[in-house]
Amino acid sequence: MSNLQQQRLVVEQLRREAAIKRITVRQAVADIMKYVSDHQQDDCLMIGFSSQKANPFREKSSCSVL
Amino acid sequence: MATEVSGENYDGLLKEMETLKGRLDEERLKLNDVALSTVSQRLEGMAQLSIKPRRVLKGHQAKVLCADWSSDKRHIVSSSQDGKIIVWDAFTTNKEHAVTMPTTWVMACAFAPSGNLVACGGLDNKVTVYPLSMEDDPINKRKTVGTHTSYMSCCLFPNSDQQILTGSGDSTCALWDVESGQLLQSFHGHSADVMSIDLAPSETGNTFVSGGCDRTALIWDMRTGQKVQAFEGHDADINSVKFYPSGEAIATGSDDATCRLFDLRADREVAVYTKESIIFGVNAVDFSVSGRILFAGYNDYTVNVWDTLKCSRITMLYGHENRVSCLKVSPDGTAICTGSWDFTLRVWA
Repeated sequence: MSNLQQQRLVVEQLRREAAIKRITVRQAVADIMKYVSDHQQDDCLMIGFSSQKANPFREKSSCSVL
Repeated sequence: MATEVSGENYDGLLKEMETLKGRLDEERLKLNDVALSTVSQRLEGMAQLSIKPRRVLKGHQAKVLCADWSSDKRHIVSSSQDGKIIVWDAFTTNKEHAVTMPTTWVMACAFAPSGNLVACGGLDNKVTVYPLSMEDDPINKRKTVGTHTSYMSCCLFPNSDQQILTGSGDSTCALWDVESGQLLQSFHGHSADVMSIDLAPSETGNTFVSGGCDRTALIWDMRTGQKVQAFEGHDADINSVKFYPSGEAIATGSDDATCRLFDLRADREVAVYTKESIIFGVNAVDFSVSGRILFAGYNDYTVNVWDTLKCSRITMLYGHENRVSCLKVSPDGTAICTGSWDFTLRVWA
């Protein structure tokens, strides 16, 4: 590929990237935070398990502490 | 957007390139009206996490390089420098399959969505699939699907057992047809080794992200092969990329000892996860299902657990006795699996 051809591809790529519609960071982070608040009740690593029995990787022991 | 044709001579194109780059920087800066950590200040902090080490998977005889969960949330495939791939029952810690590859440094492995097939590869430059069945030794049914011109660093099945997406040291990504071994699409745009890829978590799944040694993360359209967006900012190799669960952002982990969050619609970096005391490189990143937690595996043997929104470290997971090389949250988000150069994998929940 010639230099000219390569340069043309680079410019075409940049034109596409420059034409992207953007939103403000404020809007973007609001959406990121909304996703967390909509899904955190299902996030076992964050809020833990409703009971240890619900944890598939709980310790299996033959005796239990009362 | 209307762009004037600036002549088809080289100097004209160079000039336009500079103008466009300047405009891109300007646009991105203009939209940077507030910091994520500022907006999240009014959020409550997270309660104390109860994540504990639950299982240790022992069996590899060298560094563990990659691991992946099966969609059944129970099985894990891992690959190692010793040339082996092992399929584990993570509940019982039993090894269900062990395959010796004709190469060492099996840098990548992945479960197919059906759970009946694994793909792997590494220094052999190839992506090979092994059907998993109890009757037959997987080695008899192995099939080479694709070949790169340098090592294969990462692979995944986008949406079905029929296709594999790979990233390579030859600085390209490629989409292969499993049945025919045909190259369906190749992705040119990185200027150095590709280290990590991840699929966007949408139903259609036509977008993926790649990151590599050119310190850049690229967003791709899988159908057209076209680069959609580029994110820069890291000061060293990007070792790991991962989509935020909503699909609207990506996290990166780098040899520069930072993780970063880039938003696709703001088209820029929105957060950096770093501390003065953290000086070792990041090899792997993944999110909890809500996206609130960002897990990151480091060369200092630890896993740092970040609050994605407050950009602060919540806690660390200690246990590994060498570099943490890979890390994956299980498909239902109940557990996290880590692999290390200490030859073991660990499951935390």
